[in-house]
Amino acid sequence: MKVAFPYMGTTVIYKKLLELLGHEVVEPPEPTQRTIDLGVKYSPEFACFPLKVVLGSYIEALEMGAETLVTSGGHGPCRAGFYGEIHKKILKKMGYDVDIIVFDDYKRDIMGTINKVLRVKNGKPWRTVWRAIKTVYAMAKALDGIEKRIGRIRAYEINKGDCTKAWQAIKEKFDKVQTVEDVERAEKESHQLLDGITLRPVPDSERIRIGIVGEIYVVMEQSINLRIEETLGGMGAEVERSQYISEWIDFHLKPGAAAKEHELKILKKGEKYIQEIIGGHAKQTVGYIVNFAERGFDGIVHLMPFACLPELISQSIIPSISKDYNIPVISLSIDEQTGAANVLTRLEAFMDLVRNVKITKTA
Amino acid sequence: MNKVYIGIDVGSVSTDIVALDADYNILSTLYLRTNGQPIEAARQGLKKLKDELNGDIEVLGVGTTGSGRQLTGIMVGADVIKNEITAHATATISLVPGARTIFEIGGQDSKIIFLKDGMVTDFAMNTVCAAGTGSFLEHQAERLGIPIEEFGDLALTAKKNVRIAGRCTVFAESDMIAKQQYGFSKAEIINGLCEALVRNYINNLGRGKKLEPPYVFQGGVAANKGIVAAFERELNHKVIVPENYNVMGAIGAAILAKEYIERSGKSTIFRGFECTELEFNPTSFICGGCDNSCEVIKVEMDGKVVAMWGDRCGKWTNSLV
Repeated sequence: MKVAFPYMGTTVIYKKLLELLGHEVVEPPEPTQRTIDLGVKYSPEFACFPLKVVLGSYIEALEMGAETLVTSGGHGPCRAGFYGEIHKKILKKMGYDVDIIVFDDYKRDIMGTINKVLRVKNGKPWRTVWRAIKTVYAMAKALDGIEKRIGRIRAYEINKGDCTKAWQAIKEKFDKVQTVEDVERAEKESHQLLDGITLRPVPDSERIRIGIVGEIYVVMEQSINLRIEETLGGMGAEVERSQYISEWIDFHLKPGAAAKEHELKILKKGEKYIQEIIGGHAKQTVGYIVNFAERGFDGIVHLMPFACLPELISQSIIPSISKDYNIPVISLSIDEQTGAANVLTRLEAFMDLVRNVKITKTA
Repeated sequence: MNKVYIGIDVGSVSTDIVALDADYNILSTLYLRTNGQPIEAARQGLKKLKDELNGDIEVLGVGTTGSGRQLTGIMVGADVIKNEITAHATATISLVPGARTIFEIGGQDSKIIFLKDGMVTDFAMNTVCAAGTGSFLEHQAERLGIPIEEFGDLALTAKKNVRIAGRCTVFAESDMIAKQQYGFSKAEIINGLCEALVRNYINNLGRGKKLEPPYVFQGGVAANKGIVAAFERELNHKVIVPENYNVMGAIGAAILAKEYIERSGKSTIFRGFECTELEFNPTSFICGGCDNSCEVIKVEMDGKVVAMWGDRCGKWTNSLV
């Protein structure tokens, strides 16, 4: 059975999990204009942008011979929870004979989840499964740590593009790991690689730190968000996202209360503004803005798929958080119509604003 | 010999050039039509500027802004290449001290900028539709057979109010045609259009924000008295239109260049007025490296590639050192 998965962020992690379980993995290419065009063509017009891109990505995987798609479902009353079903319908209609395994919240359907796990488990002994999970979890943690470091240093690289090149090499390095020990070695080598990048020294008072928050897909998938981390880095800002895959695993999949502590703490911070989980990542968005502000970040870039309901709600809450914490926030809505020139102009102006606010704060 | 700082704002509709002296006095302002040829417009403008100042000038710094800022910046050798939001705000802060809200309506986009204590605190830019911008008004003026220069004055003569749907250019146009058939006069239709534009602008860009006076209205559309009057009716407050309302972006760019040169102590990289004689050739091609098919812009000067951009992966941008 040839297996593929939706393309989002550091995909080498999902690929590794399926590989270690003995599947033949078809890795879809990073989304390009063609992916978007395909997705837009076959999706309902008013479906949200992540649904369209993921559909395009599925089509490309199927063209490459994938037979089964494995994905996670959504939580709460957001359209994302229905993606798997919609994708299945559209792909069937297009004539693809495809099987989609959607992992939803396991508490809702324990038997169903067990069945799905057994299918993905692929007849391997539980020992192998456990080892695969341990390796992939270590990998997610390591890669996220490395990516966070890159977010901090990219703004200061002397040779433009060094960090991005290193990140590419690091992902290829991790593609070869088999065990937890391999992960540790790869992690060490990766940090050494980053140590080798020449950086411009910048005094603490001039560092600009920007938090990126919003809906998970547009925050994590750089190919469709105008490579926001590289763009902001190029404008001299350190960046950190609200979503990292290891944190998602901790909160959604890892058993035990301790793993959930970090995310719950952040959700709690936003409760002054939003009490209920309204679907999507609205509550996270609000909580993370407060968290970034408390940590002394200088500005927030809020990304949302065009017309995403949960994020429209967070957008309407943002002015009061921005005022309470005196932190500038810019909301950018992203879809297939997004014009780069307009967004870049706004980001440039936003960076000027953030620098000015910082000067008045420190003066 | 005059020591000057030059600001160039290359917009979709107009290209504006100003020269400031070291004490922020405006020595010269030029407002030219871009006519879809930003390079040519900037070239003509610089030549005119040189003639106007009798060539007896020393350029200490150059700043560019507007949608053509990058290309023009490369051509002239700009010290500062700045987005138009910062440039407009910089000019207003210097020319209208104490201003709190800037309405800027240009040819293709409109912005609202909020200021406090001489600092930008927030801004918004139209993202969806061109219904509230200069090009739309110009198109409608043309359709009604009224020169755009007389548009505003005619609006002021309207005796009755007529409400025109302003959300989108397509709806506005069909609504206008309908209202014409109902027998409203041209003046009333135009006045309705001005009100629709203002209503749309404030609802769109000012949504959820507190608009505080003093209000400053700038950009090419500020020439239109009908729009100014509609703003004042909507806000129930006086709206200031600064003397150089149509070249504020260029003034801001010049000020930013001056500040940059003075702060950094560097000397300008301006190529001199001779740059208008150089062969300057921007071209674009579709990169076939991957499915992104990026449109890459390549700029050659006297046969030598001086800049490339537009590629998502940086393959071409990084090919120049």
